[in-house]
Amino acid sequence: MKRRAILAFTLDHPGVLNKVSMLIRKKMYNVDTLTVCRSRIPGVSRMTITLQEDNEPKVTQIIKQLEKFTEVISAKELDTDHSYWREVAIVKLEVDAAHLEDFHGRYNFEVLEQKTEDIHILQVAGSTLRIDAFLDEVGQEHIIEIARTGVTALEK
Amino acid sequence: MTGKKLLLKALKDRGVKYIFGYTGGAIMPVFDEMEKLNDFKFVMSRHEQGAAFMCQGVSRASLSTAQPQIGVCMSTSGPGAMNLVTGVADAHMDSVPIVAITGQVATGVIATDAFQESDVVGVMMPISKQTYMPLHADEIEKTIHEGFYVATTGRGGPIVIDIPKDVQNQQVSEKYQFDPATFRPHLPGYFYSPTPEREPLQRAIELINKSERPVMFCGHGVINSNAGGLLQQFAEKVNVPVAFTLHGLSAMPADHPLSLGMMGMHGTVEANRAILEADLLISFGMRFDDRVTGKLNEYAQNADVIHVEIDPSEIDKNVRTSVAINADVYRTLHVLLDDPMVTFKPRRRWLEKIEGFRNVMAQDLAAEIAKGVGVDNKLLMKSIVHQLSEVTQGRDLIVADVGQHQMMAARFYNYQTNNSWYASGGAGTMGCSLPMAIGVKLARPDERVWSISGDGGFQMNAQELGTIMEHNIDLKIIILNNGYLGMVRQWQTFFFDGCYAGTPMLSPDFKLLAQAYGIPHRKIEKLEDVTPALQEAIDYKGAMVLEFICDPAEVILPMVPSGGGFEDMIVSHPQKKGGKITEEGEAA
Repeated sequence: MKRRAILAFTLDHPGVLNKVSMLIRKKMYNVDTLTVCRSRIPGVSRMTITLQEDNEPKVTQIIKQLEKFTEVISAKELDTDHSYWREVAIVKLEVDAAHLEDFHGRYNFEVLEQKTEDIHILQVAGSTLRIDAFLDEVGQEHIIEIARTGVTALEK
Repeated sequence: MTGKKLLLKALKDRGVKYIFGYTGGAIMPVFDEMEKLNDFKFVMSRHEQGAAFMCQGVSRASLSTAQPQIGVCMSTSGPGAMNLVTGVADAHMDSVPIVAITGQVATGVIATDAFQESDVVGVMMPISKQTYMPLHADEIEKTIHEGFYVATTGRGGPIVIDIPKDVQNQQVSEKYQFDPATFRPHLPGYFYSPTPEREPLQRAIELINKSERPVMFCGHGVINSNAGGLLQQFAEKVNVPVAFTLHGLSAMPADHPLSLGMMGMHGTVEANRAILEADLLISFGMRFDDRVTGKLNEYAQNADVIHVEIDPSEIDKNVRTSVAINADVYRTLHVLLDDPMVTFKPRRRWLEKIEGFRNVMAQDLAAEIAKGVGVDNKLLMKSIVHQLSEVTQGRDLIVADVGQHQMMAARFYNYQTNNSWYASGGAGTMGCSLPMAIGVKLARPDERVWSISGDGGFQMNAQELGTIMEHNIDLKIIILNNGYLGMVRQWQTFFFDGCYAGTPMLSPDFKLLAQAYGIPHRKIEKLEDVTPALQEAIDYKGAMVLEFICDPAEVILPMVPSGGGFEDMIVSHPQKKGGKITEEGEAA
């Protein structure tokens, strides 16, 4: 299934998130990720939804129905070729400092805190795939806890 | 100034005359104020669902009058609001602008499971065009005016305004100012484009001029934008036959030479066959719902589609369009009519072919109507509707319920006047007729209104006889009583080997029921009594219930099985011909 990102600018009102998520549910999708943040314009939020759908017209339908909401100012699909999709993960893991050093050149992470000799809290930013690759390479067995933000996207 | 006063002031400023509803704890302050003001005629329904349908009746019937009104219903919190849900959902499906105002528990106890508390905004959100919960008296007037604006612009729909009790009683702040005359809602996310763009219009005209086998579609959008007259002129100008959706009926006279009647599941043979063979569909204000199209991948495969529709999310939803015109139907027709490029074509072959389609069932139907009775000499619904049409010359207002009798009323009444047919279409809500007819009658008091229900649907909102009694509403009520839920029974006959599960129904003595409300009742069992009874109801001043004893074995044909294509259209009763009919499809 193709992963899709839909970017919507909405009014920053209570209930808007409810409406958007209800539409996605009504259309029988399981949301992959959903992020909401402020935009440059006061009172306007920026929402990025990712979900799985191969069928192009179905995605167009969702976008049209999103745009129908009084609170949705605009909605569009962002494809991976023409936009950046990024997320942030905060990872608590048990690993030697030396082991971590190996990754430094290749992955974009920052050590937020070293709790003990072995326990570190890191912040990793990048595409979903990149973060997955980092976690795999570190080794899932070293990971104590992960918090991921979900995707936010911006057009090139 | 308090919230409740501003609420009623805003409704008055918006031209509201009737308020339908039912009081209760959380809306009492507004009712109290309303009683003192004497600005509105309050109609108490016997159940909140009735109130929602009454206000639909007002909105639907008045839109073609000199003074269109928006129906307003009002209820208390919790169960009161929840009882509105069906009527609101129905208005949403059928794009009917109504305003539902519900009382809510005080802000201090919201979300504590207070007595009669329900999350009205949460429940109504997916079934209404917009929901509001003003949290300060200062917001009320603005909310009402914005609500009316949203309800009535673009594709119409229901608006729900949930007002906590303390906000109703709250004083506005000292600096409060509001001028309804200059108010413009600030809605940066709300768009609608009534004016058609030039480019798609040009392409549409090219397609129309080129087409040899075009069919025009008339949907609810034609009624809602009051464009029936223009549609007829345009059809005559380009000489294209017109098929109607259920809600498009009555936009132009049913017996117009270019009319193909209703399309879709229970549409006419001529409409459905013409669509099957068309090379161009020109659709105005409709949404290609499954009852209209049948199986989508077999639908009008050789036809280009021009889709004129105010709601962009309906374009390309079910049927791919060749030319999309996202605009108001009235304005589009207006521009099309004035365009010198639009030409008349005789289309002799095509119209002759359609005459052939008209003949497929014409004789059978005419014979059935003439015979007028079925098994055990029980009356046929189609014959009763036909006689009603004759007696009233097709000039009365018809409010049908949902089911077999609804399809009979849609097919066999010869609608002559614009916007004279009302029913629940998209939602298919049984029980809508009686309350909706009350609203229709109040909106158009000088015209005769008939509520036609089956015995099943009638009993779903029969309590509204009380409203009719209390307000002396001159409504002619027809019950087509066949002792079954007729439409489901028909499906059982066709697709479930005649196993009548959950469809036989014992009804009360409708005479006693009507009498209990002081309404005269006539039971008609013989064919020769049908027209005299209809005439008696016409001559009688006031409401009357006419109960016709109908043949449960009667079916409405043709029928396209749900999920089937137009090729699968059933044109004769399978039990009578002994033939096997197509299996039922996937759709409901």
